[in-house]
Amino acid sequence: MFQYILKRILWLIPILLGVSFIVFTIMYLSPGDPVTLILGEGASEQAYEALRIEMGLDRSFFWQFFSYIKGVFIDQDLGRSYVSNRMVLDEILVRLPNTIKLASWSILFATLVGIPLGVISATRPYTKLDNFVMFISLMGVSIPTFWFALLLIILFTSTLGWLPATGFTTWQHMVMPVFALATSSMGAIVRITRSSMMDVLDQDYIRTSEAKGVSDRKIIFQHALRNALIPVVTVVGLQFGALLGGAVLTETIFSINGIGSLMVNAIRTRDAMMVQGGVLFIAFLFTLVNLAVDILYAYIDPRIRSQYD
Amino acid sequence: MSMEKNEKMTEELITIPQGAWGEVWYSLKRNRRAILGLVFIVILVLVAIFADFIAPYGMKEQNLANALQFPNSSHWLGTDDLGRDILSRIIYGTRISLTVGVSAVAFALVIGGSLGIIAGYYQGKLDTLIMRFVDVLLSIPSILLAIAIVASLGSSLRNLIIAIGIANIPVFARVIRSGVISIKEQEFIEASKALGANDLRIIFKHIVPNIMSPIIVQSSTGIATAILSAVGLGFIGLGLEASVAEWGTMLNSGRGYIRTHYYLTLYPGLIIMLTVLSFNLLGDGLRDAFDPKMRER
Amino acid sequence: MKKFIKKFGILSLAGLFLLSACGSDGDGNEGANGDGESTVLKVANGADPVTFDIQATNDQATTRVAKQIYETLIEQTPDLELEPALATEWEEVEENLYEFKLRDDVTFHNGEPFTANDVEFTLRRAVESPTIGHIVDSIDPDTIEVIDDYTIRVGTNDTFGPFLTHLAHPAVAILNEKAVEDAGEDYGVTEVVGTGPFVFDEWITGSSVTANRYEDYWGDAPGVDRIEFSTIADPSVRLIELESGSVDIAYDISPSDISAVEESDELTLLNTPNLGSEYLGLNMKNDTPLQDLRVRQAIAHAVDVESIIDTVYMGVGEQMSGPINELVFGFNDSLEPIEYDVDTAKDLLAEAGYPDGGFTLTLNVGDNSQERIRVSQVVSEALAAIGITVEVSQMEWGAYLDATAVGEADMFLLGWTTVTTDADYGLYPLFHSNSFGESGNRTFYANDRVDELLDLGRYTTDQESRVDYYEEVQEIIHDEVPWVFLQTRENVTGLSNRVKGFEHNPAGNYDLSPVTLD
Repeated sequence: MFQYILKRILWLIPILLGVSFIVFTIMYLSPGDPVTLILGEGASEQAYEALRIEMGLDRSFFWQFFSYIKGVFIDQDLGRSYVSNRMVLDEILVRLPNTIKLASWSILFATLVGIPLGVISATRPYTKLDNFVMFISLMGVSIPTFWFALLLIILFTSTLGWLPATGFTTWQHMVMPVFALATSSMGAIVRITRSSMMDVLDQDYIRTSEAKGVSDRKIIFQHALRNALIPVVTVVGLQFGALLGGAVLTETIFSINGIGSLMVNAIRTRDAMMVQGGVLFIAFLFTLVNLAVDILYAYIDPRIRSQYD
Repeated sequence: MSMEKNEKMTEELITIPQGAWGEVWYSLKRNRRAILGLVFIVILVLVAIFADFIAPYGMKEQNLANALQFPNSSHWLGTDDLGRDILSRIIYGTRISLTVGVSAVAFALVIGGSLGIIAGYYQGKLDTLIMRFVDVLLSIPSILLAIAIVASLGSSLRNLIIAIGIANIPVFARVIRSGVISIKEQEFIEASKALGANDLRIIFKHIVPNIMSPIIVQSSTGIATAILSAVGLGFIGLGLEASVAEWGTMLNSGRGYIRTHYYLTLYPGLIIMLTVLSFNLLGDGLRDAFDPKMRER
Repeated sequence: MKKFIKKFGILSLAGLFLLSACGSDGDGNEGANGDGESTVLKVANGADPVTFDIQATNDQATTRVAKQIYETLIEQTPDLELEPALATEWEEVEENLYEFKLRDDVTFHNGEPFTANDVEFTLRRAVESPTIGHIVDSIDPDTIEVIDDYTIRVGTNDTFGPFLTHLAHPAVAILNEKAVEDAGEDYGVTEVVGTGPFVFDEWITGSSVTANRYEDYWGDAPGVDRIEFSTIADPSVRLIELESGSVDIAYDISPSDISAVEESDELTLLNTPNLGSEYLGLNMKNDTPLQDLRVRQAIAHAVDVESIIDTVYMGVGEQMSGPINELVFGFNDSLEPIEYDVDTAKDLLAEAGYPDGGFTLTLNVGDNSQERIRVSQVVSEALAAIGITVEVSQMEWGAYLDATAVGEADMFLLGWTTVTTDADYGLYPLFHSNSFGESGNRTFYANDRVDELLDLGRYTTDQESRVDYYEEVQEIIHDEVPWVFLQTRENVTGLSNRVKGFEHNPAGNYDLSPVTLD
């Protein structure tokens, strides 16, 4: 097991290198000139040329890529923003907590509401209640997050005046963004919980216990749920990744100072250093969460655990 | 990665004999929700094809004197800030959203599918290489990837399709790869191999037809997410030029009026939701219909 | 093994939450403004500042904050008069050489006294700046001479008419030499030192900037203890925050929200004309029908500017008859706006050899203004009506500026703000053939007489003849239509009724020190 984890952690390196390469290439191909970004439009020819050479922009694509990679992985330096001249790492660290906070609360909310709803649905299949829950969860997956967010702002800020529409400091600030962001993940979790729970409830050992007269509640919580949770954990992990992406739009709408809105701005202003650093961080986080999920997974499912021992 | 376990579940759907399509259809027909979704999708497709005949006004037809009219008898869903008929724009927008959704999925299916087939069929080093590439793509949130690609290529319908398509490659590669692996070991494949059939023939004659069910299910939900991504890009202003009636762009230009003229954002938002809902309903229905266990119920 | 897994899982999860908890602590402090004692003015700004090294940027969002922290030698009143600020008096001691007397009672926020050396440092550094150098390029650095701690002489290369006005530009505010040198790369990010009524406190990028009252300020004490600028990009969200009381002042209310502010009992709308103008540029660089004057005239006649103002700008602004507006020194008030007249437009096209139009032009627009995007659509439809096909492309702002600078687009929508209030700044960069491309002349318009007049206006100090030169320039430009003149811009601010003493200035960078809160 330990070896497995170590191996997975080592896998991070090629993954991050790959992510760097893809993002670097995209930004390299983007129109817009970093030198002009830094110096502004009125720069003199000499100043322009000097900086171009200093930044290595006259060199080949691969030279530039490797010097970036060397900076990141060896000197631990993500560089400075072309736009604000701030350290990319500092910028990211200011915003990362907000995004993690948003995504963590959202996944927590989605899971805490989603799993019980899924269980309720699965234990009363094809009833009105089940239909209702399924309908709501499908709506959750289908509603455009940003549109839903706008509707929330109209209702809770403009009309009722209960909640603030921007910022991310107190719990009041967090209600709407978390709810808007969690809705889609919640839908996905309800759906997977329900189908997985129904599969498990259908299996022989459950039927046997039923026949033996073990109470429903005991069946559901002691036997079925644990097994049913296995695929749910996977989906929760994947949803966390989806939330990191979904945060892009949510942060933009609620003016949350997170890494998602940072990325959107950086992409639009062609701040290549910032984009590369930010996406690298998001990818790192996503891969880490997936690793955690897999370990958790092994922990819940004894069959899998035995494979690694 | 953790998805591998998820794929185990889809493997169960794959083992559907080729002759069972009638049964699938029969099962789908009994699923009211799926049929509802299907009917709505058919209507959308018809609307998209015949937009020119159905739309009461032109897509770009402005009437500045009639700007911002609330829904009324001549403009059922009202007019936007430049006096264009919202209903007509929603109707034309169907074309764009469906085009983007379907083409992006087709793009992802062709590229992701090829990668998945190669990886699954040949396995070994090639498989590792391809799947690590897919892992890399997968660890970049797809919306960010799409935003970066559109920003880099410039916004046009084609680039939108490419961007969203690329962002969807990993999912298709994974689903198809696991499908191929589960089919490959089966006797009839081994048999045709023994008979000397070449790889291409085996792949297209025997493997692809047998993994149609996960492909169809994934495509249906894939179209739903592709439409949502396109709308999201439009919403942050990276979609198409604003006079083109793309739903996300309509939402974006209407959001400034959301408090005074709610209908500018309400109706496009609703239609997006219904469209995505329909593809999801159909996807769910197909999943159930392909699943022999579900069919028994 | 099992234990290890358990521990690892819990640890990594705990780590995640810890990380997020740290974040919430940091934010908590910043939100602490309910102490009752101190008054905090909360202002919603539309964009995040770029850097507070004010010589490295020249954007409105930065200036609106920097204006509270920094001061210039000379200030411009809202009526555009020059008045003493850090300099008490000035005179032209020789031709093209000015002597400034400085205040002797000013200290920087870091405790350093303000002296002529700081002025020298600031001006020399400004001239070198690629970003704002053009504002002070008339200064000849060799002539800068510190006479004593509170007297300095500054000379110009040539006679430069609007020299003093340029010194009132907020980008030329006085920096502290020691602070800038000590901070190095961090200057303008974490280290910000000025002489103004507020002291820079903290800048959380993308989110907020705070500044506290400067206790040792030489002038009138500011009306509030603290200002908190928050960055809220979406104009309707700025309004929502104003309505809900989360902010006291919201800058740049969008036209579609104006009625909401006007109708509210708790809010006040302030809108005043500013020095900006909007235009549709007609690029003459490429081989297109736009090189024909009659085609340009036809386009100008085909666009209904009045209805653009009414529908897109909700009545904000007035149709312009030339490139600068009446607030700018040198404005020519005898010109008439070009009339909306589709028939004339068609006739002109026919005369030019395009009886039913039949050609295609590209129109580029930046994606950062909903209003301009709307105008692009109106223009495209209006030109379709006279047979010209328009291909609109929306571009990201930076890419858009690049594209128009090299003359890629046939037509483009832009604006210009004559911040210095002088016609030189409103015309020279835009129409002189020296200014092709990114300096401002993106239509690549060239006219020898215009060049001559602009040079004359720039290198003369006799203000009356300058007016004559500029009036003639405007007349020529009016007739030759390198631009379709759209409308004047206005500053539109939403205020909570608690806010007293807030005033606009035409440049749009408002002084918040007189503002008080009820």
